[in-house]
Amino acid sequence: MSGIDTRITSPDAAPVQRNWWVYLILIGVCVLNVLPYLWMVMTGFMDKASAASATPQWIFTPSLEAFELLIHNKGIMKNFMNSLIVSVSSTFFSVTIGMFCAYAIARYDFVGRDDVSFWVLTNRMMPPVAVLIPIFVTFQTLKLLDTLPGLIILYTAMQLPFVVWMLTGYFRDIPRRYEESAMVDGDTWFQAFRKVTLPLMMPSITATAIFVMILSWNEFAFATFLTSTEAKTMPPAIMAYSIGANIEWNVLGAAVVLITAPLILFVLVMQRHLINGLSQGVAKK
Amino acid sequence: MADLTISMLNKEFGSFRAVHDVNIVVNDGEFIFLLGPSGCGKTTTLRMIAGLEMPSSGRIEIGGRNVTFLRPRHRNVGMVFQDYGLYRHMTVFGNIAYPLQVRQMDRGTIAAKVGEVARTMQIEAILQRKPDQLSAGQLQRVAIARMLVRDADIFLMDEPMSHLDAQLRGQMRSELKHIQKTIGTTTIFVTHDQLEAMTMADRIIVMKDGEMLQFAAPREIFERPATEFVATFVGEPQMNVLDCTLAASDQGAVADCGAFRVALDQAWLSANDLRAGRKLRLGIRPEHITVGAPGQAGHPIEVELYSFEPTGAENLYVLRSGSCEVTTRTSTTESAHLGKTEGTRLAMRFDPSWVYLFDPGTGHTLAQAAASGREARA
Repeated sequence: MSGIDTRITSPDAAPVQRNWWVYLILIGVCVLNVLPYLWMVMTGFMDKASAASATPQWIFTPSLEAFELLIHNKGIMKNFMNSLIVSVSSTFFSVTIGMFCAYAIARYDFVGRDDVSFWVLTNRMMPPVAVLIPIFVTFQTLKLLDTLPGLIILYTAMQLPFVVWMLTGYFRDIPRRYEESAMVDGDTWFQAFRKVTLPLMMPSITATAIFVMILSWNEFAFATFLTSTEAKTMPPAIMAYSIGANIEWNVLGAAVVLITAPLILFVLVMQRHLINGLSQGVAKK
Repeated sequence: MADLTISMLNKEFGSFRAVHDVNIVVNDGEFIFLLGPSGCGKTTTLRMIAGLEMPSSGRIEIGGRNVTFLRPRHRNVGMVFQDYGLYRHMTVFGNIAYPLQVRQMDRGTIAAKVGEVARTMQIEAILQRKPDQLSAGQLQRVAIARMLVRDADIFLMDEPMSHLDAQLRGQMRSELKHIQKTIGTTTIFVTHDQLEAMTMADRIIVMKDGEMLQFAAPREIFERPATEFVATFVGEPQMNVLDCTLAASDQGAVADCGAFRVALDQAWLSANDLRAGRKLRLGIRPEHITVGAPGQAGHPIEVELYSFEPTGAENLYVLRSGSCEVTTRTSTTESAHLGKTEGTRLAMRFDPSWVYLFDPGTGHTLAQAAASGREARA
């Protein structure tokens, strides 16, 4: 009874929801996210003088000066190809291997299972710098320095924990019934996995692959130290080409356009899969 | 089609014994129910028959073939899972055709067979839909169709109706029973619903804590339960069970329940070797208690109405006397003249030929009701 005014009766219609503040927050977040990037892209199309000027210029004559320098003089497309090869192959390997690993952790009860998943998770917490020197020495011994296979192996190893960790949860969400049903129907374990579990997992696997691809594409620390000329990928290349004695802002901007454009296109195309995959398990079974 | 023989089947999960010394012999074409509360080992037993779980020890034979440790795909059994296990990335047709495609049958044969079971299960109209566009009842039909489409030796069903509403369940019961009899494939059905088991089964296996308590025809389970647990698990509303002590009085043998005394048949007690002074559990089904007005002839036990529950054709009276509470079931017409408000004074009578006596320690039935099994003996 306390505090409730029992004289109030219901209004004649349901109250109208006014959620204008939601849009306010969304606009705020968008501006905060997009503005720096927009500025960087604009800088990429400036000439050297306007890019370096002390007062920011919103209106300028676009020039492709920086792009020409990067593509013709510096040959950044070679780095682009390197990045593409490394990220696609490491994504392929880490997702393929990680998928089976995640399946094992999700489905089978074995000694030390929890330790394995914990160890897998902690691997992700380690900063790359912590293992840079041992890896450098190992690469030197194995003659993997400045080679694409070297980077592919390293990135595959780096992304595996992430893949295992993500996919384990998704595999757990898929009832065992599906495989059991297929096995009673006459399938071997692997047939059941391939024809029943895998198709159901496809959205999650795609989403994970997109994430891993982005992480590999953007990886900077190892690429900087382990490559020099032959296998140099985009992130260290950008630094090398635009930052010398002083920073050439327009070159940096152009390079940012080159490195992010494929990602943006890729994510735009895959957006539906990404959202599907991430919401799997939340959606009704 | 085949018979099924299970001998000394055991399953342990660590130190937990899920299934303990199960022995079952099922004849070809029988419809057998595994009935019990959740966690009693009935599903584990079924999964061992399917090969999804390997036994710790024991032997399983299907049609005389030892399949104890065989992989599921070598057993030729069809199965329906509790949540149906339908593949949501395939159409209904694809789901039903799946077991046939695995066996690499040609397209024509597959289409013909799927069409045939779809007709049997009345799901021809939805063959091109995906499982998430179906209602629970349709999903259930598809799952059963997928099991039927194979020429399996044995069909296994794991609580297939637990997601259906009561009305659909009733429809499905008669339909499934009819189909099972028509096709004639040996079927093992797991359920915790005694009504399903009683209405559909040829024989019922009652399980509790991993052990088989009784394996008999529904009528036998109902009228001659092996233990107090079986007696109370089967039947709705459940059997009344009271603590009592056997005693002798000037009217003959009685069971002293504390608040009242129930007259028993001395000859029946002697035949079951039960003597005065023994502590027992007395059981009687609600339909074997008659309710009357206080002082009515032949209704010696005075009680108070605790709650009145009309179910339409029948009235349930929950009666109390002291600490004893019993439920009775009478047809609505018979009890029309009786009071129906809580607290009304009434009288009741136990039919002595339908009284059961159980051992309070082991729960075993010490004396089956005198009237039970008369048909069988006659």
